[in-house]
This record gives sequence, C-alpha cells and structure tokens, in this order.
Amino acid sequence: MDNSAKHLLQRLVRRIPASMLKSTLDKWERLTAEKRKSLDFTQSKWIITQELVALCEKSELTVKHITELEMIYITENPNQGMWHTFQLVEPEDDAHSVELMQFKEQFKSHLRELQRNVSVKIKKHTDQAVWIRVAWGDGLSSPNHLKATYVVLYLQTPYVFVNALSSKHKPLLLQALTLSTRHQQIKAANLSGQKLTALRDLLMRQYQQVFPTKYPSPLAESDQSISKLRVEKVQAEASANRHRMAGETFGDGMLPALQSAVFKLETKFKDPTNEAMTQRDEPFICSVKFSSSNLLESLRHCASSGIASTPVTPMLSSIPLKGRNYFVITDNVLTA
Amino acid sequence: MSLLKPFSKLPDLNTANILLVENEEQFQQNLADTLVEETAVTVNVRLAKSLPLPMENDESRPRIDLVVFIINLTSDKSFESAKASLKYLDPGYFLGKVCFVATNARHASVRTGCLDALRQLAALLHCPLLFAEDQSPEGATSSARRLLTILKVASGLVPNTTALYLSSLTRCTMPPDIDQPSFD
Amino acid sequence: MEGASTRGVLSHLSLLEVQARSRGSQVPQQPSRVKELKAKVEALTSQRDQLKAELQIHKKLQKLRAPVDGEDEEMDVDSESSELFHLMARHSELTDLLHAHNLIGGYDAITTNRGKSMCFSLATQYEGVYLDTYNLELNLKPNVRISRHNIPPFIPLNSLAEQSDLQTDVRAFLATVSQHLNAFAGRRQQLKLVKEQHKSVEVMESNLLCSILVLMFTVPKKKTPLLCMLEYTDHTRCLPTQVHLNCEDELLPDSPKWKKNCSLLMEVPVHRALTAIKKASDIV
Repeated sequence: MDNSAKHLLQRLVRRIPASMLKSTLDKWERLTAEKRKSLDFTQSKWIITQELVALCEKSELTVKHITELEMIYITENPNQGMWHTFQLVEPEDDAHSVELMQFKEQFKSHLRELQRNVSVKIKKHTDQAVWIRVAWGDGLSSPNHLKATYVVLYLQTPYVFVNALSSKHKPLLLQALTLSTRHQQIKAANLSGQKLTALRDLLMRQYQQVFPTKYPSPLAESDQSISKLRVEKVQAEASANRHRMAGETFGDGMLPALQSAVFKLETKFKDPTNEAMTQRDEPFICSVKFSSSNLLESLRHCASSGIASTPVTPMLSSIPLKGRNYFVITDNVLTA
Repeated sequence: MSLLKPFSKLPDLNTANILLVENEEQFQQNLADTLVEETAVTVNVRLAKSLPLPMENDESRPRIDLVVFIINLTSDKSFESAKASLKYLDPGYFLGKVCFVATNARHASVRTGCLDALRQLAALLHCPLLFAEDQSPEGATSSARRLLTILKVASGLVPNTTALYLSSLTRCTMPPDIDQPSFD
Repeated sequence: MEGASTRGVLSHLSLLEVQARSRGSQVPQQPSRVKELKAKVEALTSQRDQLKAELQIHKKLQKLRAPVDGEDEEMDVDSESSELFHLMARHSELTDLLHAHNLIGGYDAITTNRGKSMCFSLATQYEGVYLDTYNLELNLKPNVRISRHNIPPFIPLNSLAEQSDLQTDVRAFLATVSQHLNAFAGRRQQLKLVKEQHKSVEVMESNLLCSILVLMFTVPKKKTPLLCMLEYTDHTRCLPTQVHLNCEDELLPDSPKWKKNCSLLMEVPVHRALTAIKKASDIV
C-alpha cells in the first residue's frame, strides 16, 4: 500500500462518523471477519485509523479497494455536499434500450478518449440508481482520488445528479454522459441542494402531490367533546381553502427537503418615488435567496397560514412544478 | 363592509360569547380550550384570523360580548392586521367590550417602539391591554382567568357593574413619558 | 432563595384568588326554585320544537307548490328554455357516462379553477388488480397545456402531447398516456410477481421504466447458468418485443426446446411463462 492509498484511507475514516464505521466496514467485505473483529471500535478515531491502515497493509489492499469503501459510504449517505442536476434532452432512437453493461463500457471509453488518466468506477445501487465515481487526473499526473466526482443517474430517465464537479471537468463529463446514454444534448436543470434524495423525489415526482378529486377522502371523525362544541372557528372555510390551495401547490405530507431557492431579478426598477432609478434604462440586477432547512415545507406553511396570499404566485409555485430552484427573472417572462 | 355590532342580537341565558382575533392562529386555540372549561357560565368561543367575519355564518353566530385582539409583538404583521381589523367593529364595542392581549413582550426580537405603539393604540381606544405568556399552559390559564373576569362583566352577568364602568378602571392609560425615547 | 419565583407575592395572591373563587361557587341555591325553573325550561323547549317543526312543514309545502306553477308557465313561453332543458339533460347524461367510464376503470375528469383547468386521474390496472393512480392537470385557456402531474419522468409526456395534437383531441392524448401508464404498471407488476413467485430465477438487471429485464436461469443437469434478456421496446405493451439468450453452452439457445421457450416468453407475461418453463423442467 503506497502513501496515497494510506492518505486516502485516513481521510475517509475521518469522514465516517464513529457510529457508522463498523457497519460500513462490514459491507465492504475486503477485510476478513477475523480482522474486522480484531478492531476495537470503542477506541479513539485516531487509534482505529492507525490499526485499520495496518490491517489494510497486511491484506495488501490498493487504492482501488479503498475507493470501493468510499463509494459504499457515499451511496449509503448521499445527503452531503452540493448536488447539481442536469437534464438530458433530445434522445436518439435507441436511447430507451441502453442497458447497464453497454452504458458502463460506453461511458468509460468515451471519458478515456476525452481525458487520459481518469479512474472510473460504476456500480448499481439497489433502487436502480447507477452510481459513478470519477477521479480525475491531468494529462500526466495520476488520478486524484481525494477529490472524486460522484454522478447518480437512472437509466432511461432524463435527470443526472452530480456532486463535486469542477468547471474544468464539467464539459468532459457531460459529453461522456450525453454520448453514452444516447442523447444529443444535456443542459443544467437549475436545481441543486444538499440532499440527493430530496432532489430525486422532486424530479421523479415521488412525493405526495395533491390533486382535486371528485371524491375527496372521508374526513377524519372530528372530536366531539364539549370544549370542541363551544369553540368555533369563524373563518374555518377560508382557512380550509388556504390549506387546500397550499397543498395543491406544494404537496402533502413529507416534502422533499430543499434548502434554498434563488431568484435572480434582471428587471427594470419601478418606484414612482425614486425617479433617478426608475429612469435608468439598464435593468436593475439583484438576487433574492430563500433558505430554510426545508424550503417547500416553509412555503407551504406561509401559504396555509395566510402569510403568503393564495393562490400562490407562479414564482413560488414553479419551484415544485418545474422542479428547479434557480430562476432568472427578466421583464415579463420567467425564463431560464 | 359589514360591521360587527354589540347589540344587534339577543343574548342567551347565562351565556357569554367571546371572539378571539389573532393573525397567527396559534395562541387563540390554547386560550379557547382553557376558556371553555369555565363551569359557572357557558362560554362560547369564536376564533378568527382577522375581521370582517364572513357573512355566511352570520345568522348562526351568537351575540359577541367581548372582542379580544391577540397581538404577537415580535411580528409587525400581527399588529398591522389587528389595526386593520378594528375598522370592522361597531363603535359600541369600544365602550368596554374590546380588549388587547400582547404576547412575547419580553422577547429579544421585539422591535423598539412596537410596544409603545400598541400602548398608544389601546389608550386611544380606551381599551384594556393585557400581557400574556403564550408558551406554557400556566400562561394560558392565567390569561384566560383575566379574560373571563372582563367577559362576565361585558356580557352583563355580574350585577351592579357594566362594561363601561369596568373599562374606565382598567383601560390602558398612556404613561406621561411615552413620547420621550425610553432609555432602558 | 430557590423557588422564590414560584412562591412570590403574586402567586400567593393568585392562590387566594382561586380559593375565593371556589368558595363563591359553593353557595347553595334553593333546590325547589331550581326544580321549578328546570321544569319551565323543559316545557318551553318542547313548545319551541313543536313550533319549529310546524314552520318547516309549511316551508316545504310552499316549496313543492312553487316549481309546479313556475314550470308550467315557462314551457308555454318559448322553445328557448326547452332547448336549455335539452342541453341540461344532455349534460347530465354525459356526466353519468363519464362516471360510468371511471367506474369501469377509465379516467376520471373534474373541472377545477373555475373552469380554467381540468384534472384527470388515470387509474392503472394489471390482470384485474388496481395499481397506482396518476393525475394530470391541464390548463384550458388560452390553449391546452399540461400544468402539473405526478407521472414519472420516464414517460415522455411532452412528446406524447406533440404527437397526439393536444389542442384538438384531448381524448386521444389521454388514451395514449393511459396506455403507456398501464403498460408500465403492468411490467412493474410482472417484475414484482417474478421476484415473488420464482425465487430460483435471479433478476440480474432491470430499470425504472421496466423496459429491460435480464434474468438468470439455471438449466438443470449440468447447472449451466443461462442469461435471458427481455427487451420491451414497445412501451405501450407489457409483452417483450425481443428475447435474447446467452449461455456458455452455445448450442443451448438454438435448441428447439429453447426456441419454443423464447416464443413463449414473447407471447405470455413473463411470470406465467416462467411457471410453464419450470413445469417443463427446462429451468430449476
């Protein structure tokens, strides 16, 4: 085991929380059960790391094996770092028949054509997601495993999620993805966030949306105790209406946890009291950022409690509707 | 514009009706649950976010004896909404049948001047201003108890007293130095 | 000094207040007077109820009389209203038809947003079992446009809308979408049944759209593994368009027995085809 592998392992163990270290190592299966048993997980992280490095050295593990461990950890805990979304468009005729083996070969060969010295690892997760780990190297230097890019995609669906991609490598990766999934183009989907699961649920529409129906589900039996009989909400209808509208716009139950939404305004400044600014011809540029631990939940609450007026403005409702959280607003039109 | 009138309907026997108006709709529910526990008189509570009240259930609504505005001092919107709602009350209510309850008065994020503005408003309208603690059940109980005292008088259940008489004793008065900046 | 805040002057006062209050409510009332009043209340309540019932009956009678008179006059006046009646009858007939259509498994439609949009719910089924229901909301004005839906992204909704001319023929569009959804739900259900019923068959690969299915069989005798790839190119059907076999023993896929099995896989849903192949003991 060379120094770079050791370094990689040390960094990785430092990232994995102590409580998860054992289960992650168990899934790795590169160390025998005996060796795993010999590790004492009650010790401090630093000592465990030392022992683990020694064990791996004894088992003659290489960088390749360490990256496997990293991949296991990341696939189990995808909600970290910043994930950006891209959308594949204009599929070729045979795009729907791309299967995993074919995709693996194609992707690797396309990427290697574009850039020498890249290390690519592709694995399929249990929920049909294809996970790709790319470690980039320059023309001469060997791949840098410390800053690996992760890509998640579902074959036959247009969305691709990317983590830790530098602008230098972006065109290379996107081209390889476009070609190997048999599409003609790829574009930014203007959706990003820390939680991969939330982004996926939003785009795959896997959260509970509310649609008006002719046969609404039976209402839960109301509490008929004395106190409820004597307390009456005068505006119950209006408030029920607000709740319904908020639900129809943002969905029901647990919502995908988006952290932020950014609106970039490039519109003319309009304020009758401020003539100097109003008369300027060039647009007034400003950016408005909404952030919260769960933005959609907060917006739903705003709408249902009446802080934001209902029906909800198209600006806010297009976050779940279009599945994006970055908007550029110019005069009259809401465009990318 | 439909005004809420204090004497347009007949009262019920041994019944007092209170209307709690709160923009956030948070404290009012706790308060209502505590208020209806009163056994000596039948207390009916109506909850609203703001005034005017909808016309649809106007028929079934009993005579409102006391209107309470709950104002969260940490939120400007709460104060503004209450101020806007005041327009929909008949002037007859201001003869002792309106009361303000301020919550979160000691909260760190209360804007300076907000409390003074509320005090000024209450003094101007000759209404009492109560302070409540809205986080604990004890807070709800004690404010409910105070409201009940006013409510009983306002609904005419206490002999020899009238709402107007009580309000002349309990109404908020402007402290003489309110126009000066406070130095605390 | 601990507990000073809980035992302060104010809390003592409020304790006294509670005590005073409880004493006040204990003042006994004369029982006879109470009884008398209660009886009076009961008598008055029953009288009120009786009056209320009478009032209601009168109201109902009036209502019953009124429309009979009104209708007679209108019918005489002009044919315009009869046309209106005709339209109303037609409308209720169509609503009933739509309802019936929904009951037998078709889509359900509802007008929302004050007539500006419509919401359709498309139920999916496979072999008589209801599966997921998908919803689709269309904006009608100024032109027909999909506003929101919960249809998964691998169903190419936009290209389907282009193909079937959404502006003029919504029904055809809904029919194609429904076909796609039903086929998808059917394939997914088949895959689920394969996993449940055939534990010996290993599902090597599948995708979200369930358009590709790679299965691993074990052929008895020599325990040879056999790779079978099913491709569902036609996304509106739940039967494969192509079956491809791969084996170390290169003669096996070309044997007449497996040729027959292949055509069986093409014609019969995969979980049932597997049962048949198993019965013929071609696989474990």
